[in-house]
Amino acid sequence: MKPRAGGSGTILKWTLAMAVVELKKAKKSFGSVDIIQNVDLRIEDGEFAVFVGPSGCGKSTLLRMIAGLESVTAGEICIDGEQVNGLDPSERGVAMVFQSYALYPHMTVKENMGFSLRIAKRPKAEIEERVAEASKILQLDALQERRPSQLSGGQRQRVAIGRAIVRNPKVFLFDEPLSNLDAELRVATRVEIAKLHESLGNTMIYVTHDQTEAMTLADKIVVLRKGQVEQVGPPLELYENPNNIFVAGFIGSPKMNFFEAEMAKGNKLTFAGASVVAPTAKGAVPEGAALTVGIRPEHFDRDEKPDGKIDVAVDFVEHLGGTSFVHGFLSTGEKVIVEHRDAGSVKSGQSVSVGFSAKDIRLFDSEGRRIR
Amino acid sequence: MSSATQGQSGPTDKFPVIKFVSIAIISLVIVSPLFLLIVASLKPDRFQILAEMGSFKAFIVTNPTLKNYGDILTFSGNQPFARYLVNSVIVLTFTLLGGMLFNSMAAFVLAWGRLPGRAIILTLMIGLYIVPQESIVLPLLNIMNNLGLADSFAAQILPFWASPLYVFLLYQFFSQIPRDLYDAAVVDGASPFEIYWKVFLPISLPALATVAILLGIETWNQYLWPLLVTQSNYARPISVGIAGFFGADSIYWNLAMSASVVMMAPVLAFYLMFQKWFVSSVISSGVKG
Repeated sequence: MKPRAGGSGTILKWTLAMAVVELKKAKKSFGSVDIIQNVDLRIEDGEFAVFVGPSGCGKSTLLRMIAGLESVTAGEICIDGEQVNGLDPSERGVAMVFQSYALYPHMTVKENMGFSLRIAKRPKAEIEERVAEASKILQLDALQERRPSQLSGGQRQRVAIGRAIVRNPKVFLFDEPLSNLDAELRVATRVEIAKLHESLGNTMIYVTHDQTEAMTLADKIVVLRKGQVEQVGPPLELYENPNNIFVAGFIGSPKMNFFEAEMAKGNKLTFAGASVVAPTAKGAVPEGAALTVGIRPEHFDRDEKPDGKIDVAVDFVEHLGGTSFVHGFLSTGEKVIVEHRDAGSVKSGQSVSVGFSAKDIRLFDSEGRRIR
Repeated sequence: MSSATQGQSGPTDKFPVIKFVSIAIISLVIVSPLFLLIVASLKPDRFQILAEMGSFKAFIVTNPTLKNYGDILTFSGNQPFARYLVNSVIVLTFTLLGGMLFNSMAAFVLAWGRLPGRAIILTLMIGLYIVPQESIVLPLLNIMNNLGLADSFAAQILPFWASPLYVFLLYQFFSQIPRDLYDAAVVDGASPFEIYWKVFLPISLPALATVAILLGIETWNQYLWPLLVTQSNYARPISVGIAGFFGADSIYWNLAMSASVVMMAPVLAFYLMFQKWFVSSVISSGVKG
């Protein structure tokens, strides 16, 4: 068991709950439409799992199923080894932080944070102690008597997190908690959530469509598409070894470039005028097979001696300060994005040659599955 | 800045005469009966009021007196005016309490409850609102008589604890409350009643004020129903009590006028105090106030 200590070094008396969250063939249907399809997933105790996927993929529905806000059509959801399908949200040992903060507008910060304990009819002294301690962790001490309308977006989100902490849940559930914050505050709050996880050590499940949040916060990323789990793994594992073309395209920003390719003689890949030795075992792919090659924008021009080069007709250049993204087209008409550390001299309308290494190529078959 | 100024002065400056005449006519139509009522209530002689009615003299009082206001309390015969006033206050208070509670509970369940056939219930409710109250008066009277509630306060209060209009008004307000707020309360362990009582009601004060104002005015001004359902002075409200000044052989215009002013005064005072709420309540209800 991980040591559970407050951010300021305080040992939290009530943060000893631990929980493994397990989904076994979990399914959710609305009428004849399957929103979640037979999801099998295990989130370990103390793990920070992030559900990512495009809009409508079912990530929020899955989170709400774990919370108990949506019923489970079939399958099981277990928390701490106990099946919770039939339990009310408040009996599951979960606390949820909503995208819209969902603070009670007529209550002060203190009342908001202590609401669940008042509902549970906990002694007044205990409520005050827990609220005070959570406030200390989140630096909300000075805002106790304010109402949500008197708080900034970041403060509101901290109160929402505080309301969750006070409940001493086994599992924290976050439903896109940073989406309503501006860019600067989003980064600051993201760091706070990461620190909170480090100090509390609870199991946390976090839903987002933001790449950076997923990559920076997660111990484990769960990529969802059309209600199904596409891949589960640590952020770098998903980045380096995507199982399919969807995960490869979804993880990483800007997304991975995909080019049509063909397997030629001698285990060589040909695409966009380039020819390189395929990063697969010889004979693994039959000669003449149609394939898709994936190369991340940041993987161009990394090595001094590249294995291959492609010509890019520059369409426009995005300068981000530290780096630049060159948007262009290959001779085949396919779009390509190349990251350049020094693209000051590159202009629209020019043609540039960019190099790549065979080890940076991700190869996919015609079905979109990864070929290793 | 300049566009704001233009926006304010533009349309009004173009037609100042039309604007003035319109306001004058509207004011005359609305204010003159009230003025007439107040002036007549200050005249001591009921025959004088009758004689001057229809002429400009009706708007002038030469020897004003407050005697009529004292007389309505001590009017001989079977007219306990003070009792009518108290009765009206009792009916108003309990109609408001029950009306707010039951209409809001029904609205909450319709908006957030897992209720089978919710759409049908809503449609039926809107349909019920279209039915004029007068058309259900007789069956309702029958029900009250069968329940043994004739000539009681309950008969004037209970039928107004549920109203399709107010349920629908509150339903619309509750429906607009974000789902996250409801879910947050569920996760916090609140029961449906606790969510209604501790979260939804406190944040619905504007909507509740709308209902309170409309229901309050409706109750205070009720005439037909209390006339039918009250046979004695026991629970008779002021609106019906005033009719007592119109006897079979003589009409006490001076007393009827001053009683009408007394009946109107609380509503006017309330209106002046909460003008903003009145305006917004009438706008939000989409009905005539």
